[in-house]
Formats: sequence, structure tokens, C-alpha cells
Amino acid sequence: MGWAAFFGIWAFVSAVILDEFTLPGPLKVWNEILEIVRGGSWADDFLISISKTFMGFMIALIVGVPVGYMMGRAGYWKAFFHDGVVGAGSIPGIVYAIIALVIFGIGFQGPILAVGLISMPFIALNVAEGLEGVDRDLLSMSTAFGRSDRQALRHILIPSIMPFAFAGVRLSFAIAWKVEALTEVFGSSNGVGFQIRFAFQGFSIAGVLAWTLMFIALLLLIERGLAIVERWLFRWRTWEQAA
Amino acid sequence: MSAATMSRQPGFANSSIGRALRSSWGARVTSYFAFVVAWQIVGASFFRVPTPWETLDFIWREVSGGDHGGVRPGQFWEHFSATVPRFAIGISVAFVIGVVVGLLIGSFSFVRALLSDVLLVFLALPAIIWAFLTVMWFGLGWEAPVYTVILSAAPFVAVNVAQGVRAVSPELRRMSDAFGVPRNRRIRSMLLPAITGYLFTGLRFAVIIGWNAVLLAEWFGAVDGVGWRARLWYDAARYKGFVGWAIIFIVFIFLLDGLVLSPLQRRAFRWRASPSSDLKAEVGAVDTESFTNTAIGL
Amino acid sequence: MATLQIEKLTKTFPPHSKDGRPVRAIQDISFAMSGQVFVSLVGPSGCGKSTLLNIVSGVDSPSTGTVTVTQDGKKARLGYVFQDSRLLPWRTVMQNMLYVSDLPEEEGRANASKYLEMVGLGHAHDMYPGQLSGGMQQRVGIARAFSVSPDLLLMDEPFSHLDAITARSLREELQVMWNATKKTVLFVTHDVMEAVQLSNRIITLAHGGTVFDDTTIELPFPRKASDPEFAAQQAEILGRFETMELERTAAKG
Repeated sequence: MGWAAFFGIWAFVSAVILDEFTLPGPLKVWNEILEIVRGGSWADDFLISISKTFMGFMIALIVGVPVGYMMGRAGYWKAFFHDGVVGAGSIPGIVYAIIALVIFGIGFQGPILAVGLISMPFIALNVAEGLEGVDRDLLSMSTAFGRSDRQALRHILIPSIMPFAFAGVRLSFAIAWKVEALTEVFGSSNGVGFQIRFAFQGFSIAGVLAWTLMFIALLLLIERGLAIVERWLFRWRTWEQAA
Repeated sequence: MSAATMSRQPGFANSSIGRALRSSWGARVTSYFAFVVAWQIVGASFFRVPTPWETLDFIWREVSGGDHGGVRPGQFWEHFSATVPRFAIGISVAFVIGVVVGLLIGSFSFVRALLSDVLLVFLALPAIIWAFLTVMWFGLGWEAPVYTVILSAAPFVAVNVAQGVRAVSPELRRMSDAFGVPRNRRIRSMLLPAITGYLFTGLRFAVIIGWNAVLLAEWFGAVDGVGWRARLWYDAARYKGFVGWAIIFIVFIFLLDGLVLSPLQRRAFRWRASPSSDLKAEVGAVDTESFTNTAIGL
Repeated sequence: MATLQIEKLTKTFPPHSKDGRPVRAIQDISFAMSGQVFVSLVGPSGCGKSTLLNIVSGVDSPSTGTVTVTQDGKKARLGYVFQDSRLLPWRTVMQNMLYVSDLPEEEGRANASKYLEMVGLGHAHDMYPGQLSGGMQQRVGIARAFSVSPDLLLMDEPFSHLDAITARSLREELQVMWNATKKTVLFVTHDVMEAVQLSNRIITLAHGGTVFDDTTIELPFPRKASDPEFAAQQAEILGRFETMELERTAAKG
């Protein structure tokens, strides 16, 4: 019903309030999408954008997890990173695109850097929170049974942090995916953002909408997919809460 | 010399400077210092990246109307005063629309079923798309920035207001029924306090998202304004101008957020005993479950 | 069997507030135990029982005095059953058992199975702690402690978080397991009946962390609460408790 309403409102606004040129209706955009799909290179563009996002996340995890670990462990580092991590959430996406563009120019590294920069604070924040919530009783159990620090790290600390790090990835995914496309709009020679820019410069409203719709569909699909993976990875949590 | 090497010297660690450096204020100051140093290093290694000093010099010339070493003088205020009204009008309209839609969605399950997926798509739409569409619709001028702000920010206000309405627990409603509390007192003592915090959270999102939106729309579809000015320096390949403006964008939103919005939001939520974590409470944005859950679950 | 020797043990914690006084949890405690004994440490809450166990297990360290746990002159192996089960929620029952095991994989598995079977959880290897009831979780906790073949087994009010019926059946199972293995056990509780039912010797701690009383119980196992001798023994110890409380009130007044 929700989606029927969405397309119904869209068709209504397109046909009655505005006109078919200002806002192409769902059918016209659907034909445009078919056109793009028949063109064949769309899969490459999406694949390129997804892999840039993925690499950006890898960087964010590699930097964000240790930063979050330090923040959760020591008051000094919490204060040290506080302003940067908290402030990062309100920095406009365009600034990330600008930074990426200035450092790398037009190339594949820019979007990766932008994704890394925007998602890193989310991950660090979540890891810090996870670490603050580690069950001290489990750590003393570990000591009482003579387990080493390395064993405690592997079996207690890391499993406690992982759900939080993953939630950080999932929560920042929508934002990261948008910034990735934005950075491609500003400076790239491939990817979804580049295609949207291309359609804009060709003054093709239907083209912009078609690419955008595919972009959103993929965002929602991946978001749901991540939620499913998360539920499976951390299935012990559902029982934990139920108990 | 860093704090670590200094504190190794006997006596120093306990001196007042050593203690100040290890305090949380010391940590903050050190972090800003480290940021500038890191920037300096990046600036020295990438030829396009200006150093902190060059950037600061640029910002000063731009703000004071000084000479940039060419034909163009600094023009901060005229662009700033072009952007702020667009931003303010856009945010105000977005807020009003968002509150009305949010109240409707939160109060009537029929409206919620009808609009939740529409809202989901609006939330997922990047601001750049609105910027492109409005530029194609209205051409270059004031319209594209204003409409981009409205279209990007309103959905986030709506989501938060709807959540606020739904946060009034059914138990409290039933309690009010049981005591026969009159309607206006119900709205004043139950609904309003419950949604005030969410209203401010929504406003804060709207401001952060709207600021990004106005910059993007001006970049691609205006003939003045701060976004347009930043683009001018980019097109002229004068990267210190470009980075200087990025810094101004950040400073503006930090001041607005830190001095006005965050305190308001915290004040409105002060009846909440303990937020899930003090860090997260400050960011606010992270505290929403997942993106789709927020939109669909409302 | 292990020997536990506690000599002149004192533990003070730093003050709660800046100008507050340091908190003394244990004051000058000395006692020793060794061989096939089940010793209960009884006392009101806040008398330092759990602190004492934490020091014995090495989780905490003494302020002054010494604690030595030896097994034929070497350092003894310890097992610990906590108030709450303290299982890793992200690991299955079997993985939780293996976490504390030092045996090679296959042997560890067989050993863990044996003890899980003993507490009636042979079927639950692949379940997560969250899927088990509180009583079952505590059974895993007990199996885990026995599975490391400890020379000394420490138990910190292991049944206090369970409902009365579950606690009773677990107490009976513990008696059976102890009779089969005859481990050296130090058992902390505030429940006098529980202490009388399970132990050969009861050490009573007073408020302020000093030893107030040390009694041997020589009733035959298995003990039943309905047995008159059991009731008499319990009444005697409770009587001493009352004396202790009376003395304390008198000293205060």
C-alpha cells in the first residue's frame, strides 16, 4: 500500500500538478531505466560505486576501531578525540567532497577517502560505547580461570565490540553511500554519481530520476541486507534480550 | 616536544603544566594542535592542498575585503548575506511542513501507512538530486537553493516529529482516559512535553542537512552566495580559496550547532534520566536505530 | 587435594569520596583448610566474603597478609562458580566450556561433555546461554568449574539468584557431585541452612571482616532438612549469629 501510494502520488503530481516535462511520470522514468539497463554499462557503474564505498568502509574500520578502542579505554583519548568525532556529524557532505577533490583530484581515491572520513566517527563512537559496556564480570571470570590477556581480548573484548562496530557501519551506510555519489558528482570519470552528473549536464530530468531511483533502490536493498547479516552474525543477542 | 617525552623528566609530570596537559582540556588543546600539524604535513605532501597558514591568510583577506593578488577583492559579506536569507527561509518552511506532516503521520495510522514509503524515498534522496532537479526546473537564481533546502530538510523534521508523537506511550494515554483528563490539558502536559525534544532534534537535523543543501544548490545553480563563491575559486584552480571556504562552512555550522541548537536540544530532553551514552546523546543523529527502521517504523 | 592458607589477611579499599575514610573489607583474617573438605564461609552481606574469594582467586590482591593455595607444594588449579553464571553470551555452551580448558581440542571436548552430562545438559552443547533458563546457565557454570579439574573450587553464593525450587535441586546435585569428586571447596553463602546442608566446616565472619566462629559439622551425607539433627545443628549456628548481633548492638549502644 505504501509503495502504491508513492507511485500514485508521483504520477498524480507529474500529470496533474506539474507537467510531463518538468516531472516525468513513473512510466517514463521506468522506460529510461530500461534504456539504461539495455545500455549495459550500468552494472559497471554500480559495481564501481559499491566497491569504492566498501573500500572506504575498510579504511574507516581500520582507523575507527582503534580510535574507538582508545576512547573507550582512556579518559585522555576520549577527551582528545571528542570534538572531532562529535563535530564530524554536522560537517556538510559537500566539505568531504571538497577535501577529497583537493587531495586526490579527479580519480577513484577521492570517493574512498570521503566515505572513510564520514563513516569513521560513527564507527569510533560505537566501538567506544561498546567498550564502555563490556561486562567487567566476564573479565574477572577470565582472570579467575587463569586465561591470558590475549585470550580475553579474543573471546571477550572483540566479541563485545563487534556488534557495535557493525551497527556503526550500518548506521552510517546511508550517509556514506550519499557522500560517495556526491564526491563522484564533483569529480569522477565513472560511477553512479558521474552518471547522474552526466544526465544533469545533458538536461535530462528523466535520466537524473532514473539513475536516482536505481541509486535509492540499491541503498534500501543493501541496508536491508546488512540488517539481515547483522541479525545472523549476532544471533546470540536476540536470545539474550528475550531471556 | 610532546607531552609524553616531557612527562618523563622527573618533577615535570607533577608540575602544573604537566597536569594541565593530561587534563581533559589539555587533551582537547593537544588534539587541535595535532590536527593543525597533520594538516601541515598533508599540505606539504600534496601540491594541491594549501597549508593552514595559507588558508587562514586567504580567509582573512576574503572576510576583510583584502587583496587576493589579482583583480578580485575579498567578498565575504555580500555572498554570506545572499546565502543566509535563502537558508533561513528554506529551514523555516521545511520546519513548518515537516511538523504538519509529522503530526499527521504520528497521529493517524492511515496517513502513516500511506506516507511512510514516500518518506523513506525522500530520506534516501541525496540533496544533490534536489539541487540538480531544482536547477533544471528554475534555472540559476534564488529559487533552486531555497527549494533544495525545503525538499532535503523537511523529511527529517517529519520523521522526528512523528517519532515524538508515537513516543507518548499508550499507557499514559490510557491513564489520561482513566482520570478523564480534558483534551487541552492532555495536549499541554502530555503531548507537547513528549514532542518538544523531538522537535528540536528535527530542527537540528534540518539545519545540518539544509546547510549542506544550500551550499550544493548554490554551487550548481546560483550566481552569488557562498556556495557559488567556493565554486569560483575551484574553477579558477585556486585551491586555498576552495579550502578556505570549506573551513568557513564548517565554522558556521559548528557555531550554530554548538551555541544554539545542541543546548536547546539538551534542554528540551532534560527530563530524560540517562541517554544511552553521553557521547551519543551529543551527536543525536547516531541514536536512531537504523535508517530504514527509522523511516518505516516511525 | 589442595591446601589453602590465609594469614593475617587485610583488605582496604580506597575511600568512596575524597574526604571519606578508606573502606576496610577484611580485617586480620587467618585460617587454613586442606584435603577433602567442603568449607562454607557464612556471614551477613558486606562482611567481605566475596572480597575474600576474589583475593584467593587472584582477581583482587591483598592489602596486607598472605594467601597461598598449593597442591603438593606447587601452585594449585582453581575453579570458580560465580553468583551469576558469567558465561560468554556470544559463545555456545560447548565453546564456553572450551574457553577455560587447557586440554587439546578433542580431549577438551570429551571432558566438557562428561561434565555437561553430569549436570544434565548433555543435549545443550550447541545452545547459546541466552537460550537457557537461569538454572540451566548456572548448571553450565558449575560444570565449567568442575571441568578444569580444580584442586580448589571456589563458589560465591552460586544459588542466590535462583528461585527456591531450582536452588534446592541444584544443591542436591552439587552434593552428589562433591561426593563423587571430593574436591576441596570454599563455598560462600549467607544462607545458614545451605551451609549446614552442604559443608563439613562452617566459618562465620562478623561485620567488619573478622572470623567470629569456626565449627565442624559431622552429619552424614546426604543430609535432609527434615532430619532433626540437621535442624538442631542449624538452630545452634543461628543461635550464635544472634549472639553476634546482640554483642554488636551492645557495643554500639
